Amino acid sequence: MRTALRSLLLGCLALVASAFAPAAEGERLKCVATIPDLADIVREVGGERVEVKSIAKGPENLHAMVIRPSHLVAVSNADALFQVGLSLEIAYVPALVEGARNKNVFPSAPGFVNCSIGWKAIQVPEVLTRQAGDVHPQGNPHLNLDPRGGAFLADRVLEALSKLRPASSDYFKTRHADFVARIDVARTRWDEIGAHFKGRKVVEYHQEYDYFLLHYGIERVGTVEIRPGIPPTPNHLAHLIDVMKREKCEVLLTAPWSKNNFVDRVAEATGAKVVVLPSSCGGVEDSETWIKMMDTVHDRLAKVFGTPIPPRQ
Amino acid sequence: MTRTRLCVLLAASALSSLARAQVPQAQQDLTAPPQGAGKQEKLQPALQGAPLPPQGPFAQAAGQSNPQGTVFQTPGMPNMGLRISSGMGQVTRFSNEFNPAFSFIVDAAAEAVDADSGQDGLDAGLRSFELTGNAWIDPYAWAYFVGVAEEEEIAVEEAAIHYIGLGQNHTLRAGRFFVDFGKQMQIHVHELRTLERPLVLRTYLGNELAGEGLQWDSWTTVGDSTAIRWSIGAFANALAEVEEDDLTSSTATIETLAPRRGDDFTYTARVTGFTDVGDRGIFQLGASARALPSFEFVTEDAGAVGTDLSNTVFGLDATFGWVGATSVDSWSVGAELLASTGENGAALTGADSTNPADYTVFDEDLFGWFGWVDYAWDRFNAVGFQYSQVELPDAAQSDVSEIEAYYTHLFSEFHRIRLVAALNDSDIDGETSRFVVQYTAVLGAHGHGVNW
Repeated sequence: MRTALRSLLLGCLALVASAFAPAAEGERLKCVATIPDLADIVREVGGERVEVKSIAKGPENLHAMVIRPSHLVAVSNADALFQVGLSLEIAYVPALVEGARNKNVFPSAPGFVNCSIGWKAIQVPEVLTRQAGDVHPQGNPHLNLDPRGGAFLADRVLEALSKLRPASSDYFKTRHADFVARIDVARTRWDEIGAHFKGRKVVEYHQEYDYFLLHYGIERVGTVEIRPGIPPTPNHLAHLIDVMKREKCEVLLTAPWSKNNFVDRVAEATGAKVVVLPSSCGGVEDSETWIKMMDTVHDRLAKVFGTPIPPRQ
Repeated sequence: MTRTRLCVLLAASALSSLARAQVPQAQQDLTAPPQGAGKQEKLQPALQGAPLPPQGPFAQAAGQSNPQGTVFQTPGMPNMGLRISSGMGQVTRFSNEFNPAFSFIVDAAAEAVDADSGQDGLDAGLRSFELTGNAWIDPYAWAYFVGVAEEEEIAVEEAAIHYIGLGQNHTLRAGRFFVDFGKQMQIHVHELRTLERPLVLRTYLGNELAGEGLQWDSWTTVGDSTAIRWSIGAFANALAEVEEDDLTSSTATIETLAPRRGDDFTYTARVTGFTDVGDRGIFQLGASARALPSFEFVTEDAGAVGTDLSNTVFGLDATFGWVGATSVDSWSVGAELLASTGENGAALTGADSTNPADYTVFDEDLFGWFGWVDYAWDRFNAVGFQYSQVELPDAAQSDVSEIEAYYTHLFSEFHRIRLVAALNDSDIDGETSRFVVQYTAVLGAHGHGVNW
């Protein structure tokens, strides 16, 4: 009887210990990514040794995600949480991490992966004040929309996965190299398309595409938002319409979440063509992966500018 | 012009030029047009791979120019005013690096009232001014406080510590804080979907229900998309604060509903589960209880009019939320049913208000409920409708109902205006209609949590 009781106790202890222990080396790493772009990149680098869930689906306003029970469950069971950082996910990641109570993904744990570390952000405010709108103290966080962003994020993902699974490091490196090589091939085409973009003028709803615009020398003559996160006033719209007419700006960029009445009003008043671009993978058709998404962004802009679109690889 | 005057003029001119050249960029930008339009921003190049340079005060220590301009320093004297400087090491006892995150909330309202009881009129005022502070104490505990100034009084509405060192999903919360009951009792009035807490909550639990005590809560997962949370709490002092406006003559004694002896605790319990419904929906179901095992009614004129009384309020809540594909538009609909059992109230039924025997304590089970539907068509505009009905603790079990329609417009995430039209229909006081304009602003740090 005593032996049976001891076995039962030991069994229970083992069960409890296994529940709290991090995933063993041979098991697939449970990863959660805040945006589908990161989920795609983690999948590319991690291959079959990871399983990935994304919090955002793609069309959402990434600054205003709503936490769902499944997000809480996923983060509570995760070995790693991949986020863009630069305060992109400030509205929900702190609450999610705090609520999920998973030590694997607490700040400073190896599983808390800030993928923007090392990225030099643009638009870092010199003075932090709400007069500038809902600004991000560390600068523009939409680095996933920079043509160089995919490779950069892949580097951060490789570092994190290798740290979490040292024994699989070579496997991850091989997959990372393959992914980056495919990005390089795609970038040759993107550069060919983007070479025709220099000096073109656009207006955007939110400052989401600034890395992209900067990369190709596209001139932003204004934004529909009066400041980041602040909806336009009638005066601002009137001013913007004047500027667009004066500058002969005929293209208005918007994301799926910001295709609203303000955009329609400006487009109607100026005759500008509205281009809906994804703000992350899955935001529009043909953008399921990061490479596909960038293909689509380049193609849609080339189409609206009337510049050549070489065939995809 | 003498040579001396010439030298002075030249020196002044040179200093003036130097000063103009040293005006920080941030100051120059204050007169610039809005960055949203009319000006092509010069975007800085993004460099990959390079580590970020130190920012802010650390920049000077790292050999970069100080964005605040030149710091005055007496030659030969240590620059004690700097928070950090190269080679100086630890220089001050008064570092503010670990200060809590502070925020201020201003909540004001103006209203026009038309009442059958004759209490008509216009009014406007600051409903509350809140100061909040939050900070981690160590890796296992964080604390916060909420101080409120209301009508020339300052009160600590909440001051509590959250301890998470028990591991996994357990939290101990100690101090003074709003008790865990239903979906709406834990939050502050300015955070509500509409102007006030629903009538039934105000009547059975109070406008705000802060307790001083201890609460344990924990949660677990069921499958991939369901979470279940529960909590139990014990409070040495849980006062039900009821505002005069909410009271009819027969319910006035509710404001004295509080335990009076140290060994009489108030207990709370809540269990709730929420789950994904499809890709866009969330459903939540919860049950709550607040028990006062022993308390007494006290009036100013007669003293204790009932002793060794008990009261328990049970609640059952259900909420369904739906968020659009772009997370811009959303619907939420919900309802909460409350039952108040035990001694609910007392009223003067005799002639002598100083004689405790002339009061009657009511011991009936009372029921009330509220339901609402909200729709936000974008991040900045939402409308809603709320209905609440409650049985009052009086001999006739009179009914009061309240209908509210409200529109909320956010100028930004940090301030908003709300228009409310409300109709209160009481068996005792007749109808009262109100039109209210509410303005709320958040200054400073603010955060979002999981609302469950």
